[in-house]
Amino acid sequence: METTATTHLPSDYLPILIQFAAALGFVIFAIVVTHLIGPKRHSKVKDAAWECGVESVGNARTPVSYKYFMTAILFVIFDVEVIFLYPWAVNFRGLGMEGFIQMIVFMTMLMLGFYYVIKKGILKWE
Amino acid sequence: MNSIILLTSFGILNLFIGFSKSKKIIMPLVLLFLAIVFVVNLTGWNDTQTYFERMLTIDNFAIAFTAVVVLTTILVLPFSQSYIDQQNDSLAEYYSLLLFSLVGAIMMVAYENLLMLFVGIEILSISMYILAGSDKKNLKSNEAGLKYFLMGSFATGILLFGIVLIYGATGTFYISEISSAATAQSNNELTSPLLGMGLLFTLIGISFKVSAAPFHFWTPDVYEGTPTFFMAFMSTVVKAAGFAGFYKLMSVSFAGAQNIWFPTLIAMAVVTLAIGNIGAVAQNSFKRMMAYSSISHAGYLMIALLSFNDRSENAIFFYSLAYSVSTVAALGILKLVADQRDDVSYNAFNGLGRTNPLLAAVMTISMCSLAGIPLTGGFFGKLFIFSAALEQELLWLIIVAILMAAVGFYYYFRVIIAMYMREPSGDRVPVGSVATFALIFMTVLTFVLGIAPGLLSNIL
Repeated sequence: METTATTHLPSDYLPILIQFAAALGFVIFAIVVTHLIGPKRHSKVKDAAWECGVESVGNARTPVSYKYFMTAILFVIFDVEVIFLYPWAVNFRGLGMEGFIQMIVFMTMLMLGFYYVIKKGILKWE
Repeated sequence: MNSIILLTSFGILNLFIGFSKSKKIIMPLVLLFLAIVFVVNLTGWNDTQTYFERMLTIDNFAIAFTAVVVLTTILVLPFSQSYIDQQNDSLAEYYSLLLFSLVGAIMMVAYENLLMLFVGIEILSISMYILAGSDKKNLKSNEAGLKYFLMGSFATGILLFGIVLIYGATGTFYISEISSAATAQSNNELTSPLLGMGLLFTLIGISFKVSAAPFHFWTPDVYEGTPTFFMAFMSTVVKAAGFAGFYKLMSVSFAGAQNIWFPTLIAMAVVTLAIGNIGAVAQNSFKRMMAYSSISHAGYLMIALLSFNDRSENAIFFYSLAYSVSTVAALGILKLVADQRDDVSYNAFNGLGRTNPLLAAVMTISMCSLAGIPLTGGFFGKLFIFSAALEQELLWLIIVAILMAAVGFYYYFRVIIAMYMREPSGDRVPVGSVATFALIFMTVLTFVLGIAPGLLSNIL
């Protein structure tokens, strides 16, 4: 019988533990060794924040316009909507009328939300 | 189920009503919506229905607790008058969030599947995170929102982890099927550690939501920062729905696995009672005192949970109702007084008996009810809980609870002393007509529960 093949003892997971220890060990090793043997040269240019080759301007911690967040949130809403639409579209025939009505309800709720957002003036920039 | 659909539709509708010019129309409409939901909910009495592949069951238990949370919301709403007067831009959104969170509360009392419990808790909690931080320009409110959100989401994670472990041990999310697996495993010598861990994590998650010690640390800070209007909602609806869900989980799923959780819950009940009552004594702020008082009432409700016999269901229902009504009255008056005197400490109530005799009388009665004095609903709430516990032979626990209730007299009566025996610290507090009506209704209800408890004590 194949009973032995389906039971796993804790010792069977030992290779994973070894792999994990090896990965962690290498990281610690690499960090420590580069600190010890790497050359340390400082200059104004070398210590400056690197920003794609362009000279950096100002502080990174500036207030960000809420438009970006609004765009991101609205994007997520529509993204999720599309994710739900795909499986429904694939099984459109199987789900039939009931599935269609459920999808209509779902879409109506989302559209109401979107209408609310527009009416509330969230997308009115400037 | 109809109440869930109605609340959702009304919530969405209400968002659009919010675009109308006049802010005055919103509150009467929301009250009407809630009244419709209340009636529609009651029409399902004695007619058990299941939905979504048996994931939700609307039975008498669910209907009774839905009625409690909807009624509480109706009674809370009149105290939002100051938001209307100030033409608050987000008024309709606040109301809609309350309506949406009620959907979560109903799911918490009607669930038949742990996933539904989780979704219900989340719907309720996320609305509460927003409402706790709704006073955006107030630092305390920001603190409350952030603290509640961070700690709440952590507790949610633990709850979810517990549910997963229970699934791992029993192979199902349905509470009735978990029951047989849990009973079998706890009678067996080889109890799966997964089940014990899962149960413990689930307990931690739900205890956090109902603010039972030792998971209560967020309560005073969050309640203090939350606008009083929403605190009245949080400390009643979340507690009633949370305990109904808690009781359902324990009595249906884990009644047979008592040896695992019984000692834990007894210890938690004692600690909750002690911390809630002794903590409340040390407070100078009335609002913080009410937060600790809500912890201590969680302790009494846990005793009902522990006794789980045929009485405890009714005891939890009756206690939740009596507690909710008196807490809403007390916090509603605090809101009215604090709006005028800009103070939430006991001193704000100084001389209220002379300037506003009605407010002082209602406050006195609700404090008596919270303390558990005869002729009020709170007395019979405690009586039913203790008699349920007595049947389970938890005599020493009852003695602890009665001692702690005696401690409760001290801090509940401090406000009565301030109202009647101190010089007034301000002018007459203006009270709207709807709020007056709600306050009188709550007082009458407290008396009805205290004089004729038989009306509602055996309905489940």
